[in-house]
Amino acid sequence: MLRHIDRGDQGSAEKLSALEADHDSGGALPAAPKRRGSAELSAGKLGVVMNLPTLATLALVLAYPIGYAAYLSFHKVTPAQLRRGVFPSVGLGNYQRILSDPLFLLALKNTLVFTAVTVVAELALAIAIALLIGQRQVWTSRVTRFLILLPYAVPPIANGLIWSFMYNFDFGFLNRLLFSAGLISKPVNWIGDPNTALFALTVPYIWRTLPFAVLLVHAALQGINPELFEAASVDGAGPFTRFRHITLPLLVPILVVLLVLRTSFAFVVFEEVLAITQGGPGDATWVAVWYSYKRSFAPPFDIGIGAASAYVLALIIGALALAYVTMIYRRIE
Amino acid sequence: MMGRPTGTGALGRRALLKSSTAALALAALFGRPTRAAGTPWADRPATRVDRLNFVVWTYGDIYTKISKKFDDDWGVPLDATISSFNDHPTKLMTMYAGGETIDVSESSPFSFPNFITQGLVEPLDGLPGSDEYQKNFTESAKQVAVVDGKLMGLPYFSTVWVWNYYTDLMEKARFEPFKTYDELLEQCRKAKKDGICDYSIQWVAGVGLEQLPGTWYQLTWNRGGVFFDKAGNHQLGPGSIARETLKWWIPTFTEQLADPESLKVQFTTSAKAFCAGKNIYRGPNHHYGLNIINDPTQSPIAGKVKVMGSPGDGKTIGDTHVYFLCSANRDKEWAWKLLQYLGGRTKDGAYTQANNLARDAMLGSGYASVMKSAAITEGWKPWGDPEKILEIWDKAIYVGEMCNSIYKPWHFPWTDRVNIEVQKALTGQITADRCCDTLIAAIKEVQKS
Repeated sequence: MLRHIDRGDQGSAEKLSALEADHDSGGALPAAPKRRGSAELSAGKLGVVMNLPTLATLALVLAYPIGYAAYLSFHKVTPAQLRRGVFPSVGLGNYQRILSDPLFLLALKNTLVFTAVTVVAELALAIAIALLIGQRQVWTSRVTRFLILLPYAVPPIANGLIWSFMYNFDFGFLNRLLFSAGLISKPVNWIGDPNTALFALTVPYIWRTLPFAVLLVHAALQGINPELFEAASVDGAGPFTRFRHITLPLLVPILVVLLVLRTSFAFVVFEEVLAITQGGPGDATWVAVWYSYKRSFAPPFDIGIGAASAYVLALIIGALALAYVTMIYRRIE
Repeated sequence: MMGRPTGTGALGRRALLKSSTAALALAALFGRPTRAAGTPWADRPATRVDRLNFVVWTYGDIYTKISKKFDDDWGVPLDATISSFNDHPTKLMTMYAGGETIDVSESSPFSFPNFITQGLVEPLDGLPGSDEYQKNFTESAKQVAVVDGKLMGLPYFSTVWVWNYYTDLMEKARFEPFKTYDELLEQCRKAKKDGICDYSIQWVAGVGLEQLPGTWYQLTWNRGGVFFDKAGNHQLGPGSIARETLKWWIPTFTEQLADPESLKVQFTTSAKAFCAGKNIYRGPNHHYGLNIINDPTQSPIAGKVKVMGSPGDGKTIGDTHVYFLCSANRDKEWAWKLLQYLGGRTKDGAYTQANNLARDAMLGSGYASVMKSAAITEGWKPWGDPEKILEIWDKAIYVGEMCNSIYKPWHFPWTDRVNIEVQKALTGQITADRCCDTLIAAIKEVQKS
């Protein structure tokens, strides 16, 4: 039974005290055995107890696999060894191997390019679209608000397949559209040309993940007090000035969140690569997760190498997230 | 097909009693039923299982009938885990690593050494009937299924690399099937210039084990070269036929004679793309693509695509894919029974699955008797000319003979590099010389790792 009720609901507390008094005096309530130890748990201890199931679940489903993957990254691991549960230790051997593998370094470089393009494009588009659909006087914005969510409902692999049809050199919709508009005279080999393939991959990815960013920015925009805009208008501020000096600064917290989330997710892009290019042509679209996947799940199934490469990627993402948060909040302060 | 002996009329009463007693004693001793000699596929294993499973890659609807037949014959239902060809090794190995039960699976010759090295494959020597199967293997099947003298699998299907051409465009261009590689280039240039088609050739050059690498292997072998000699030394150095072949191959892309989609297509997708009727030639690749291209339900140019051999003496490559008994099986005897249904004989003694694969999917067999049967000579007729394909078949060697790295576990990771570097060469990012030099260096890297 709670001894300290830290709520504003005094009525309930009083009722509770009355019940306790009634109970102690042998009232009509059924008698319950007194458990002094648990009855005297402090709020702090109770908080710990209440959190234990969550902590245990998280430890089981998050910390254990992450820790186990770290363990694997220092061992030579194949599926047969994984089945037996016995792995020879290689120390830092796996890390040394991947860091001296030109393909891993290229995959990292491709990942950085992919992330930079997608994150910048997503943030810019998210702000622009959120501003547009936030216009209450434009009735179509309500329809747009609904339609903008549709790509988010498309499974990533299906999205990849849709775009691989769109990009098809001979029969793709994109080439046909551009050709009909007179923008190209010959079909473009979007995903077969090493110069365009990586950038071609960014489009389906942005298309799929943009709605999430739009939603967050849209929600943040709803929280800005309209009086600020009215006051600025009275002072003669135009739309651009209002955006620069009111909207953008107030969006910064949500943009930081978006920056961290979108960077983390873009760093682990996989489905589009699998469905559209499989890393090709050549190594033009090998990204970091594709590298980990190929090393772990294609012969000779070197899971230790895959785990090590995933850890390098995780460290980079963590460092970037930390840098974002530190830099941007320092500027705000 | 061998009949099962049942009569006892030739035996005297005493002899019958003696032999029956001996048989009963043996049965009691080993705890299994007696077998009629020569028909082990017809005997029920002594143990009991509730169900069995197999892990395979998809190819049309080739498992429904055989699964039903197994259930009908033995009363044991089958569970199938079916993924795409490229995902199969991943699926299989993750199931294996995760401690799941897998009775039977399959492998391309390129993944097989890895599966064996990982301890996933159970040898079949000594299992009832295994010797008889071996005697009926084709040369290609033997080369894949027998590893270091041990029988490790039964054949799933066999294939050879052939060329296809689209007769309408050939007639329009007034071409005859090319007889030299120079003639092929001339025809492609002329077809482009005359507006017959933009891209005359569709190569099967998508990333894969047999696609892009297979095309290069075949072209090299047909021109008289190999990738590795019998001692395992690479043959990719300056002046080698493989390197010169790549030098010849690159301009088909840089001169825009080859369909740019070639770099993405696998066997089935290339067959489907060829159905659009925009290319004159497709190849060299598996013969059974015709069962898509010449199928009226799938192709607008059905019946207008023919098969042809390769230039010169016409030599080509082929391979065999296998089913194998997985070491993670639930019951070895029953798993062997299932393996035979997929890659050998059914209860009635027939090569049911091999025959079905020939008639339903135009696949060749790793069994000599099936290759000579009507399942092939008649079964292939709806899609192509069996006589012509079998003529090409006779000029084929198993791909491992010209690229014996296939027998090594490092072949698979090396193929990853082949896919990357050759695609870079074909798209003009690097020269053929640099590509081959990189691949030579990569051999040591993958062997080391």
